[in-house]
Amino acid sequence: MKGKISIPRIFIYLFLIVASFLSIFPFFWMTTGMTNSAVDIVRGKMTFGTMFFENIRILFSEYDMALVLFNSIKVTGLTVVLCLLICSMAAYGFVMYKSKITQRLYALTMLTMMIPFAALMIPLFQIIVQFKLLNSHFALIITGASSVFIIFFFRQSFVTYPFEIIQAARVDGAGEFRIFFKIFAPSMKSTFFAAAIYAFMTSWNSYMWPLIVLQTNDKRTTTLLISYLSSAYVPQYGVIMTAIVISTLPIIIIFFAFQKQFVQGMLGSLKA
Amino acid sequence: MKKILLVISVIALSIGLFAACAKSTPDTATNTSGNQQKDSQQKDTEDQSSSSEKQKITVWAWDPNFNIAIMNEAASIYEAAHDNVEFEIVEMAKADVEQKLHTTLASKMTEGLPDIVLIEDYNSQKYLQSYPGSFADLTDKLNYNDFAPYKVELMTVDSKIYGIPFDSGVTGFFYRSDILAEAGYGAEDLNNITWDRLIEIGKDVKAKTGKAIISFDKSDGGLMRIMLNSSGLWYFDAEGNITVSNNEALKEAMETYKKILDADIIIPTAGWNEWVGAFNNGDAASVISGCWITGSVKAATDQSGKWAAAPVPRLNYTESKNASNLGGSSWYILDAAQNKDLAIDFMNEVFGGNVDFYQTILTNNGAVASYLPAIKGSAYSAADEFFGGQAVFADMGKWMNEIPSINYGLYTYEADSAIMANLEDYLSGSKTVEDALKDAEAQLKSQIQ
Repeated sequence: MKGKISIPRIFIYLFLIVASFLSIFPFFWMTTGMTNSAVDIVRGKMTFGTMFFENIRILFSEYDMALVLFNSIKVTGLTVVLCLLICSMAAYGFVMYKSKITQRLYALTMLTMMIPFAALMIPLFQIIVQFKLLNSHFALIITGASSVFIIFFFRQSFVTYPFEIIQAARVDGAGEFRIFFKIFAPSMKSTFFAAAIYAFMTSWNSYMWPLIVLQTNDKRTTTLLISYLSSAYVPQYGVIMTAIVISTLPIIIIFFAFQKQFVQGMLGSLKA
Repeated sequence: MKKILLVISVIALSIGLFAACAKSTPDTATNTSGNQQKDSQQKDTEDQSSSSEKQKITVWAWDPNFNIAIMNEAASIYEAAHDNVEFEIVEMAKADVEQKLHTTLASKMTEGLPDIVLIEDYNSQKYLQSYPGSFADLTDKLNYNDFAPYKVELMTVDSKIYGIPFDSGVTGFFYRSDILAEAGYGAEDLNNITWDRLIEIGKDVKAKTGKAIISFDKSDGGLMRIMLNSSGLWYFDAEGNITVSNNEALKEAMETYKKILDADIIIPTAGWNEWVGAFNNGDAASVISGCWITGSVKAATDQSGKWAAAPVPRLNYTESKNASNLGGSSWYILDAAQNKDLAIDFMNEVFGGNVDFYQTILTNNGAVASYLPAIKGSAYSAADEFFGGQAVFADMGKWMNEIPSINYGLYTYEADSAIMANLEDYLSGSKTVEDALKDAEAQLKSQIQ
């Protein structure tokens, strides 16, 4: 069979070539753009240029990219840790303590997914102002700390966990927190990884809420900086591309580093 | 696997700790010093405390090389003359400023509001009328006779004036003098022409040089707004009634779009980048837009000396002039601002009285002011080598005075999208121009009522 060329196979390869071109091209354009000047990018230059260090210099000296990146990493890092902790424990509770009340509560929690963020924005903003949290990163972290989708995601995966193990642990005298951290969580690693990647992406890319809460330049995150750079009358495309590449890198690194766990987590943590 | 988990948790924890420490130390420092200041102030007399504390003016604006750079310049001028003032200029995207302003005004939380905000002229009435009382009435605070009348009109509600007019969007017909000379057209042939004449010239240029006269995005309403504004008409009349289906100038503008397309004298483009790319590349022989486009034109430094500027073409409509406006924005002061009076004083001193400041921002940022005394300044009359020695900005100052005054109303962008949606059907021939306008009016009505 090896080496045989059949007509369906040609079509499959053709399709795959087109598909991979479509997905790789933006990255290619982004990286070449990083090394060119704005005029060259508008003119459609697709080869590597010589402006890379100039673009980096402008980004880091004029727009303080280092601080912006640090802000994003700080907010995202804390949000992910807090979000995983809170959501996994919530889901654990929903799965392990089944009663009419918890099921109603769970249904209610799911219902809140139906409310669009635009409707919550103004009341949430009023709350944050009254808590004196305006212009603080904490306001971003606390609102991102619980995600209904991640609770749902955890619960879907937790229901497959053999309840007997928990019961055995209880009989052996382990407390509920000890069971959760020592027995339950370690065997659910892939689910945690998958949820972490999702939480990371949501927090890293979040745009509307940081825009409304943050009030000064020294607090802003990468999404706000990129948006600001792009709305110039004469945009510095080279600098924008550089900022985009830099802010995409963490996502790419995290995804490639945990790709295996991510896929496993999507399939379900426990192998029968 | 355990190791990975361990490493991650250590990293996360250290970030958290680091962040918490980094944040808490300066915070507590400022807090304690602030408290001490307050304590000592309470002991001191009133006027001493006000002189020791710096008052902060917060500004929201967009565009790093234009509005932000200009505001920084204005701030440094004012800071040099006044000791106890500092500025917090918050950099955002234009859409972000609008979103943030809407949310904060709607939430009625004045803590989040800036002292000064930049608003695009097409949207000014929307804010002024949707949030009455939120913006400071400046009618008696500024000398509005010093500003271009069309700019003052668009920030007036019930004969009260609310803003500080800033950059002008006066339009010009910027062309490649070398390409047009090759086709046999000199500056005189391009002065004060009509759109019909431009199409004729375009055909001739195409035949003789093979170049397109302009790059043209048929889904962009910019040219339509230029044509309308030159006629003194808009999508709405002064009372805010929709004037779409009964608008002579709008009808002619639609017909002109079709004529331009049918004449095959353009480079069709989609989106801003392609549109700019076409004249940066030298494929299009001219560009018709607001004065702010000169920044993008001049970015192609290899074309220096090959450009010139003429007044924007006019429609055949009798009221139409060879002067129009596209875009532009103005500063507004929030009525609930903490330092409202200081902000007004700052605006009056720099934007409403400093001619030298306007020369600086024209030279450094290409900002054409709507402050009339500034246009007599040296930077405006200077010859521009890029435009073959023409004093383009002095010319723009002249055209600016001719721009018909219009009240843009609340829904310029809604009207724009309703018309552009129906224009497509007219251009493809499936609707007559009258039907397209009627449908656009119906669509607009259902959208805004």
